[in-house]
Amino acid sequence: MSNPPSRGIYLAILGAAVLAVAGGAAFWTASRQKPQTSADQIVTVDARSCQPNAITVPGGRRSFEIVNASDRPIEWEIVDGVMVVAERENIAPGFHATLAVQLAPGSYEMTCGLLTNPRGTLTVTASDEATAAASEVTLKKFLGPLSEYRVYLVMQGNQAVKAAEKLRDAIDAGDLPAARAAWAEARLPYRRVEPLAYRFSDLENVIDPSAAYLAGREQDPGFTGYHRIEYGLFAQNSTEGLAPVADRLVADLGTLAERLKAAPLDPALLLALPGAMARQLAEAQIPEGENSYAGNDARDLTAATEGIAKLTGLLRQVVASVDPKLDAELGTEMQAATDAVAALQGQDWSQVPAEQRQKLAADFTRLAETLDRLQPIIGMN
Amino acid sequence: MTGCPFITDRRRLLMGLGLGAIGTLAPAAQAREAAQPNVDDAPHGHAETAAQSVPFHGPHQAGIVTPRPANGIVAAFDVVAASLDDVETMLRLLTERAAFLTQGGAVPERDPRLPPADSGLLGPVVAPDNQTITLALGDSFFEAQPALKPLKPARLQRMVQFPNDALEADICHGDIVLQFCANLQDSNIHALRDIVKNLSEYLVLRWVYEGSVPPVPPAPDGSTPSARNFLGFRDGSANPDANDAEMMGRVVWTAAPDEPAWAHGGSYQAVRIIRNFVERWDRTPLREQERIFGRAKNSGAPLDGGPKATERDVPDYAADPDGAKTAMNSHIRLANPRTPDADKHLILRRPFNYARGAMKNGHLDQGLLFIAWQADLQQGFIAVQNLLNGEPLEEYIKPVGGGYFFAPPGVAGPEDYLGSGLIDAARRA
Amino acid sequence: MIGTYLKTTGLALALGGWAGMAAADPSLDLVGPLADYKIYVAENTAQLVADAEAFTTAIKAGDLDKAKALFAPTRTSYEKIEPIAELFSDLDVSIDARADDFEKAEADEAFTGFHRLEYGLWEKGSTEGLAPFADRLMADIHTLNERINGLTFPPEVVVGGAAALMEEVAATKISGEEDRYSRTDLWDFDANFAGSQKIYDLLKPLIAKQDPEFVAKVDGNFAAVDAVLAKYKEGDGYVSYEKLTDADRNLLSSKVNTLAEDLSTLRGKLGLG
Repeated sequence: MSNPPSRGIYLAILGAAVLAVAGGAAFWTASRQKPQTSADQIVTVDARSCQPNAITVPGGRRSFEIVNASDRPIEWEIVDGVMVVAERENIAPGFHATLAVQLAPGSYEMTCGLLTNPRGTLTVTASDEATAAASEVTLKKFLGPLSEYRVYLVMQGNQAVKAAEKLRDAIDAGDLPAARAAWAEARLPYRRVEPLAYRFSDLENVIDPSAAYLAGREQDPGFTGYHRIEYGLFAQNSTEGLAPVADRLVADLGTLAERLKAAPLDPALLLALPGAMARQLAEAQIPEGENSYAGNDARDLTAATEGIAKLTGLLRQVVASVDPKLDAELGTEMQAATDAVAALQGQDWSQVPAEQRQKLAADFTRLAETLDRLQPIIGMN
Repeated sequence: MTGCPFITDRRRLLMGLGLGAIGTLAPAAQAREAAQPNVDDAPHGHAETAAQSVPFHGPHQAGIVTPRPANGIVAAFDVVAASLDDVETMLRLLTERAAFLTQGGAVPERDPRLPPADSGLLGPVVAPDNQTITLALGDSFFEAQPALKPLKPARLQRMVQFPNDALEADICHGDIVLQFCANLQDSNIHALRDIVKNLSEYLVLRWVYEGSVPPVPPAPDGSTPSARNFLGFRDGSANPDANDAEMMGRVVWTAAPDEPAWAHGGSYQAVRIIRNFVERWDRTPLREQERIFGRAKNSGAPLDGGPKATERDVPDYAADPDGAKTAMNSHIRLANPRTPDADKHLILRRPFNYARGAMKNGHLDQGLLFIAWQADLQQGFIAVQNLLNGEPLEEYIKPVGGGYFFAPPGVAGPEDYLGSGLIDAARRA
Repeated sequence: MIGTYLKTTGLALALGGWAGMAAADPSLDLVGPLADYKIYVAENTAQLVADAEAFTTAIKAGDLDKAKALFAPTRTSYEKIEPIAELFSDLDVSIDARADDFEKAEADEAFTGFHRLEYGLWEKGSTEGLAPFADRLMADIHTLNERINGLTFPPEVVVGGAAALMEEVAATKISGEEDRYSRTDLWDFDANFAGSQKIYDLLKPLIAKQDPEFVAKVDGNFAAVDAVLAKYKEGDGYVSYEKLTDADRNLLSSKVNTLAEDLSTLRGKLGLG
């Protein structure tokens, strides 16, 4: 994991950000400020758990301030069953981040640092605000886009399985070059649907865990999925021992495809997905890289950007008649992000200069901020 | 705007009124405004004719001897029914729709996200407008259901081609026909649309002909002259008196002992679509036209009458045995030779004129939607048409469609339905 | 007057003619059926592309018999998805217009697509001169496929499509004027019914509970249509339209009109009116 030096330019870009998010390292110097005090709830995550470990808040739009008191970067999630409702990724040790989310009454869990740490509980009580949010606005204009997104999820989900089967076959054949090529291909459909796929926390933890989040890192028995195979193919330069991992990946992606097909979609989710993904890219993969052994993040980012573009395009269909100006801005921002990713193709990610990454991250942050503006205009609450 | 100076001026006038008119100016100007009809005003209707209604319930169906309003439609359908139950359901539904459509009332309101219950042609309240809907059953209606076949009226048959006919399959026959009559054609169209919509499961449309008769102002003596057909002659002069119940009992209402009991009080209907070659007719000398019909074109009087004769006068064929005045092969002399024997061939005519645009040969498609009612189809229309075969008029007319049907008796009351006697008889058998 | 009206309405309600209340707002439950329908359409357009490749290849190879044999089966994928396909009016005209849509009928330069090829294959009995029309059809179908894949299906078009297909059959197919040269109309009927029933079946779970009578009636009418069509099956397809009896034509006609009438309430029932 590289630690790019901080750059003055980030002060300008991020200084005004409401959701000041800490990066994985000194990279995000700008956010190293006094914690925001406006959050409804402060959650401190230490090496083993959340403090407090049981929280009760009234339903509605709630903000959480997450303080990383451990010595490793963490992610913090609110989980409903197996569905991730909202998350903050890549909070560096000693840093904090705020997360605002619309919460319906019910019982949720919080992840607290390492995946092996016990989860905390989050109880959301009924409130006038929550009731009003639930009863508002017609769904009609979202039906087409939601359905279209479901089609996309089904198609890409199936493609992910097929691509993983091809990867498995190459591994079974012991063909390292073919397996490496197939691995790169296999990432793409998954990355396209990642905005929703990563919310199935149980599957995400077996399909796409990063060694950095595991206690035993590469040697951790929980290190499975894409990156385990990547580690084998690109760091250990061998297909050896990867066959069971590939079999497991195919099976897990099959389960994912089923989940994606059955996932209940609603307008709030559709609105939340692309911005959250864009922000996640800006905060984690773009500055830090994710495919640390293969270094082909640029290609992954193309697919991830396509997934965001699909969602953005669908939301633009809803907003176009309501706020044409915002629609046009989204078109411009999306194109800028797409072009910026395209310009970096073919480069090993570790060789991409920091300022280029920062510029790219800024593109995605800007896109996320523009997407944030959809909620008050076409949101259902 | 330059093409419509009147509108501009009118608007200007209105604007002027709106800005400055107060006090005594305004009522005068408004009165002028109301008195000046405009291009987009709807034609004036008449509340009193809209309110006219013909009773739906009675021993006989309405629309047979009841006065013929200005507009009519005949629509022939095939019936889709797998069983006698289906037939009964169809008849009951038809009866209910007809009862509403002929008596009028408010159209039910539906949630606007659903298709409306009514076409809305007549607005939210359907006016009765003299609407009648008369059901008649064709030969094939009885043939299609084994239970109905033995109950077919004795004289009902499929129409066969007469020598001058050129029948087109598309506009002949039908399991049933509905005859719609009303003051306004829009009322008939509304009723037809309602039936088509509500009975789509049972009725498949075969053909439709729309017709009308021109309203005629009363004669100085108070009598109403017959309306003219599209050949310019008065049609119906020799019709029997529909208000003469005794005569109608003989001429129109079926009662023969060899007819099935359920059919008593019903009537046979002959529908003929008779194309007129109007271009050629208009190029025919007047004297020839009058000789062909046997009547004076202007007055409708028989040709043996004096200058003051009227269409009601009865020609004296005994005094004209060689046809010197009224040609032996003239239409009226062939159809009704006024012999004692001719009485049993009387029919009650209820025709409409139709005009349906152009034909492929560049001629107008116009003619007579001939409708005749009689107690005995054989002795009535069929006998009369056989008398007319070969008449000189044939050069100018061509029957191209139609069919024979039998109208069941009327609907006795709210619990009864059209054809109930037939269905009951079929169930008993 | 009002008494009559109340009574007639009551009867009509009892007979199911006017039954049904509209839903207040569409439900998120529609997302699944709408998405499944797009997948169905996508599968059919993929099939259409493959079938049209074979069909147009046969024409260009001058294989008259093979081309004639492939005409009707190739059309079925198009006829199933017509509610969506006809959203693209330019392609609908160039792919599926009939000669009487043009002023100069068969001789009109703008007369292209399936029916132009049908005219050549059956009426002229030859593949001669058809290659440009075959190329055009293939290109149009590729374009259609791309456009459909990129399209967010309007929910009201999908839900309304069930009735629209029946209106299509009622207005222009039952008369036997669709495939007038080849007389393969029954293949099209079958595809139109299948396309309509697919939409209906996808939506059925959403209405079955509150409207069991409606569902029973529509199911019955689809079954009646199937029963009639089954009589005319031959191999994988159907006999000539000319073999359809008047009685069966009337039966189909009444069912089609009644299905159109009933299915026209789907939009309202699902809050998409």
